[in-house]
Amino acid sequence: MLINTVILFLRDALPILVLIAYLFAHLPTSKSWLLISLVASAILSLIYNSQIHTIEQWFDGTGIELLIWLSQLLVYLLAVILAAELTFSRCSKHYIVYWIAGLMTCLTMVSKGSNFILYFEGYLHQSNVLQSMLLGTFLGLGICLSLAVLLYLTAHWLKQQFGLWATWLLILVYATGQFVNALPLLVQVDLIDASSTAWSSQSVLSDEFEFGHLFNVLFGYQATPSIFQVIVYVFALSIPLVTFYWLNLSTTKHAGNKQ
Amino acid sequence: MSKLVRYLSLSCGTLSVLLCFPVLAAVTEYHLTLKDHLFFPSQITIPANQKVKLIVENLDPTPEEFDSFALNREKVIFARQKATIFIGPLKPGEYSFFGEYNPNTARGIVIVEHQNQEVPDAH
Repeated sequence: MLINTVILFLRDALPILVLIAYLFAHLPTSKSWLLISLVASAILSLIYNSQIHTIEQWFDGTGIELLIWLSQLLVYLLAVILAAELTFSRCSKHYIVYWIAGLMTCLTMVSKGSNFILYFEGYLHQSNVLQSMLLGTFLGLGICLSLAVLLYLTAHWLKQQFGLWATWLLILVYATGQFVNALPLLVQVDLIDASSTAWSSQSVLSDEFEFGHLFNVLFGYQATPSIFQVIVYVFALSIPLVTFYWLNLSTTKHAGNKQ
Repeated sequence: MSKLVRYLSLSCGTLSVLLCFPVLAAVTEYHLTLKDHLFFPSQITIPANQKVKLIVENLDPTPEEFDSFALNREKVIFARQKATIFIGPLKPGEYSFFGEYNPNTARGIVIVEHQNQEVPDAH
């Protein structure tokens, strides 16, 4: 149970903490958004888990998969909106970024955090596992927090060196990876037909290894991605990059002409 | 720019339609049972290049998550309930799966091989 709990934290808590670390580095000074979104996420997670059996029955038994996929899609779209806020920051209100960050945190916490509630709800009542589960929780949380702090410091340094676009790029890469990782959920309930594997890098870096887990969280690494996932990844990453690069270039030119 | 956006959205839409619609064909069912945190059978053989339906029944009083890195699948199976997971079409080979909450005991392999005859349901 100790190792199981640690692995569960690496798989499900690390994505939450990495997102928070990136947003923490990206946003201006106020941090109250985090406290509010953590409380909101806890309440929403409890509601979600209490209704999980009902949600599972939605759309011919595809409710959970659809909901998780939709939440990852929303996180990705919110990451794109963050870039729009950066581009048109003169006319936009500042509090919008906090709302975006809060929503991203809530959606990620509810979709990933429900696994913890199920796990602890299912196994905590067994008296012989309590100690190892608690120890696993401390270990798992310790590893994830250490990684998150390191990533926060890296993101903060990148922000100082290259500006806000550097931290936004980290957030976009993270959100794209999570969104693309959610696509197999639709395949497993037969909503889309996209199982053809693009390549296999299991022999180089397996998904089961620690670095496999870490790269999966950071940029959506998968040892055996499907062709469909690769196509979506390339489009989802390149379209916002090209669009906002072009928009910023034209905005800068426009400002230069005015002067 | 608007032309480019229109062209891109049209291309993405067409690609999604072509890739996403599931092929309407009969899918063979395979059954797995989870009892005392063990999968029965722990090894199932399925035909290559064919989509199959895996029905996993959890007989334990605790939930379990069917997980497989090789198959790219993860699905929570609630206590004393069934869950359906579609897998394939796959190339011949061995694809391991495990229960995320009990990975030491709940383990199994999907063996994919070329088969000439129609495979009966594995109960």
